[in-house]
Amino acid sequence: MDKQEKPYIHWLCQSLGAGNKSFLRALNGLGAPREVFDLAVSGKLADKLTGRFREKAALLSEKSNTFDVQGEYERLTGRGIHLVAQGETAYPARLSQIPDRPYALYYAGALPPEKKCAVALIGARDCSEYGRYMAGQFGAALARAGVQVISGMARGVDSIGQESALREDGYSMGVLGCGVDVCYPKENRALYEKLLAKGGVCSEYPPGVEPRAILFPPRNRIISGLADAVLVIEAREKSGTLITVDMALEQGREVYALPGRATDPLSSGCNRLIRQGAGLVSTPGELLEELFCGEGETRKNTEMKEETGAQTALVFLEGLSGELFAVLDFNPLPVQEIQRRFEQKYGRIIALPLLFKELLELCAEGHAGQIGGGYFMKILKA
Amino acid sequence: MLSTITSGAVYGVQSHLVEVEVDVSQGLPCFQIVGLPGSEVREARERVKVALRNVGVKLPPLCINVNLSPADLPKNGTMFDLPVAVGIMTALGKLSPETVEGTLFLGELGLSGELKPVKGVLPIAREAAARGIRKCLLPVENAWEGELVRGMESIGAANVQEAVAQLRGEASEKAGGTARRSGEEAPPPAADNDLDFSDINGQQTLKRAAEVAAAGFHNLLIIGAPGSGKTMLARRIPSILPPLSLEESLEVSTIYSICGLLQSAGSLKTTRPFLHPHHTITGRALAGGGRIPTPGVISLAHRGVLFLDELPEFKRETLDILRQPLEDRQVQIARSTGSYTYPADFMLVGAMNPCPCGFYPDREKCRCTPYEVKRYLSRVSGPILDRMDICVEALPMRFSDIAAGGKEESSEKVRERVMGARERQNARFAGTRLHFNADMDAGDVERYCRLGEKELRYMERMFSRMQLSARAYHRILKVARTVADLAGSEEIAEIHLAEAICYRQSDHKYWQ
Repeated sequence: MDKQEKPYIHWLCQSLGAGNKSFLRALNGLGAPREVFDLAVSGKLADKLTGRFREKAALLSEKSNTFDVQGEYERLTGRGIHLVAQGETAYPARLSQIPDRPYALYYAGALPPEKKCAVALIGARDCSEYGRYMAGQFGAALARAGVQVISGMARGVDSIGQESALREDGYSMGVLGCGVDVCYPKENRALYEKLLAKGGVCSEYPPGVEPRAILFPPRNRIISGLADAVLVIEAREKSGTLITVDMALEQGREVYALPGRATDPLSSGCNRLIRQGAGLVSTPGELLEELFCGEGETRKNTEMKEETGAQTALVFLEGLSGELFAVLDFNPLPVQEIQRRFEQKYGRIIALPLLFKELLELCAEGHAGQIGGGYFMKILKA
Repeated sequence: MLSTITSGAVYGVQSHLVEVEVDVSQGLPCFQIVGLPGSEVREARERVKVALRNVGVKLPPLCINVNLSPADLPKNGTMFDLPVAVGIMTALGKLSPETVEGTLFLGELGLSGELKPVKGVLPIAREAAARGIRKCLLPVENAWEGELVRGMESIGAANVQEAVAQLRGEASEKAGGTARRSGEEAPPPAADNDLDFSDINGQQTLKRAAEVAAAGFHNLLIIGAPGSGKTMLARRIPSILPPLSLEESLEVSTIYSICGLLQSAGSLKTTRPFLHPHHTITGRALAGGGRIPTPGVISLAHRGVLFLDELPEFKRETLDILRQPLEDRQVQIARSTGSYTYPADFMLVGAMNPCPCGFYPDREKCRCTPYEVKRYLSRVSGPILDRMDICVEALPMRFSDIAAGGKEESSEKVRERVMGARERQNARFAGTRLHFNADMDAGDVERYCRLGEKELRYMERMFSRMQLSARAYHRILKVARTVADLAGSEEIAEIHLAEAICYRQSDHKYWQ
C-alpha cells in the first residue's frame, strides 16, 4: 500500500471513531481512503452512497473540511503511536488470516514478531490464588521458551501473565478495548509502561477512545487472532474469556485450558472447555511440547527445561518442614486449619509460634506462599 | 470585711487552685463576681443568695464583691457555689477565718441549701494536696474522691448547715452521719464485667494475637468475615490486660472525674476502660472538643482499649484525627482561651470486613469486584494502618469449634502470662518514660531490641525473601520483643521474629 495513504486512513478511523463497521466497509468500496477524503471534502460523498449512509456521509463531509490530515498524522506519530492497515507488509500476518480482521490497527511499542510462536494467555479478572500463581508460572515459562504472550491487559490473569512474561524479558502484546493512549484499568499503569518499553499495546480504536463495555468483546478477536494458540487459565461458566475462546475456534486457533477443581466456580469454564475438547495442559512444559510438536531443535530445549522443572518440583524436604509441606495445599489455608490438619495427620499438636516459624521458613525457601497474614499455600519451586 | 477561701478549677487535665476572695463592705448594695467567670459561675450569685436565705443567713444590704484569683484564668463549672457561700459567711463574721483556712471547698448549691456533686474533684484535690492543703470540704457524693488523695482529710456534707457544723467542729453525729471522714472504707470497686476469653471457641490464632497485643499494648487490626467473632474478641481484651496500677488508676479516674463520669461509678476506675464508639461518631466527640474542651472518647480510653468496629465505615477525616494522638499519646486542643492537653494513651483495636459484603477472599460467597474491594479498603488511610502493629485475620467459625465448648482457656490464665510479660517490660523500662513495648520509637527499638548475630542474619534473609519494608522492620522488632517477653526470654530468638513477621500487615493481599 502507498505510504501516502496512511494519513487518510487515520482520518477515516479517527472521524468514524469506534464502531461504524458497515459504514467503513461501504466507504472502502468507493476507492482508496485518499479518494474518499477528496469526495468528502468536495461534498460529493453522499451522492455515491445510499440509504442511512447518506446522512452519515454528510456529517463526515462537514467534519472533514476542518480536518488537518497531514498534521493530525504527524502529531500521532509524534506521540509514538503508529498505524498499520490491511494490505501493508507490516500488518500482522496472523491477523490477516482471520475473517473479521480490523481495517487498521493502532499500536505503540513494537508489533509482535512474526517468527515467534504466540500464545494468548487469558482468564478471569477476579482470579483465585491458584489462577494468580498459574498465570505467573505460564507467563514466565512461555517467555523463557521464547514464546510471545498476547493478552488484554485486564485485571487478574491477563495482567499477571503479561507481567511475568515481561519480567523474563519476553515479548508481550496488550490488546486494548480503548485507544492505545488510554491505560485501562488505571491500576495497570506500571504494566502499561513496561509494555510500551519492552512489548507493545495495540487497538483497532483510534487514540482517545475511552473504554466502554461494548468495545471489549470485539477486541477479543484480535487477541486470539494475534496468537497461534489460546490458553485459558481460569474462567467461570459465563465469562468474557469464553468469548475469546469462541473467536479463537472460529479463527482456527488451538484452544488449551488449565484444569481446576470440579467444585471451583472459577474453573468451571475451563473444565467445560476440556470436556468439549480443548487441550488439557497442567504445566508450561506440556503446552510448549504441544506448540513445538515436530520442531526438533526447540523441542529439545523445552524438554530439557521441563526435566529440570520436574526435578525441582520433587524437592525432598526433611523433618518438620517436610511434614508441614505435606499438610499444605495449593489452596491457601489459614494457619489454624494447617495446625488442625497437622494434628490429624501426625497425631501431635504443633504450637502456634513454632508453626509460624516453620511456615515462614518454607516461604523464605520458596516452597510456600503467604497470602494475607494468616493464609499459607504450597508452591512448587520453578 | 475580707475573707479568702481556697477552691479550684480544671483546665484540661491540669488543675489550678483558685482563691475566692470575698469582700463585704459599706456601699450601694450589690453582689458581683469578677475574675473571668463563665455563665455558670456568674449564676452562682442567685443560687448562693437564695440558698443562704433558705438556711437562715440573711444577706445584709451591703456591697459584696467576689474575686476569683488568678483573675486571668477563665472559670467554668458550678464548684464555686460553696466557696462563695462560705466566703460570704466568713466575711460577715458568721465563721471565723481560722476555721476555713487551709481547707479546699468545692460544691454546687441547690436553692434549699443542699450540696450537689460537681465534676473534677479528684484532680483538684490532688493539686491541692500537692500545694500543702490537708483538708477538703466536699458534697457528700464527692467526698470519697477527696479520700483517694493521700494525706487529704475529706469531709462530706449534704447541705450548707452541715458544712458549717463541720467547720465549727460541732459533732458530725448531729448531722445524721452523712459526713464521712477520711479513713473510712471506700465504696467497693465496681464489679468486673463477666466477659471471659473462655467464651470464644476456636480462633486460636486470633486469641494468640490478642494475647501478644495485650502484653505489649500493641495496636491490633482484626480482619474477618461477619460473624467470625471480631467484636466478641475485642470486648474481651480488657479482661486479659494487666489491671491498672494505682498511678494509672488515678490518671484514668482524673479524666472520668472531669467528665463527671466518676461519681456515677462511685469509685476509682480499677478496670481498664473499653470504649467502642459507633462509626457515626464525629471528630469532636472522638478527640474531645467544645468551646471549653471536654475530653473525647480517645481520652476516656486512656490506658485502656479503644475499639473501632467496622473501621472503613468511619469517616476518613474522623479516623485521621487519631494520627496525632497515636503518635504523641495525648491530644492537644487549641482554643482562644488556651491550649488544652488530654492524655490519650490507648490501645487501638480495629475490626473490619475485608470487602463490602464481608466474605472476600471466599469466592463462593463474595461477588465484590477487585475494584470495589480496593475502594472499600482504601477508606482506611495508610497512616492509620501504619500504626497497627499486629494484623490478624478472623476466620469463619467451623461447626466443630462452635459445638466444642468449655475447654478454652480462661482470661485469668492468659492474663497471668500477660502479667509476666508486663513485669519484664516494667523491669526493662524502669526509670524511662516508656511503659510498654508498643511505646518504643525507632531509637528505643535500637536500644531494647538488639538482635544476636544469628537473628540478624535471619532477619536479613526474611527481609529480602519476604519483601519486608523498612517501616515494617521496626514494627516487627517491637512485636518480637513482646513475643519474647511472653515466652520469658530476654533474647529475641528466630522463633519470636517469625511470629512477629506473620503478624505484619498482610499488605500484598489487602493493600496492594
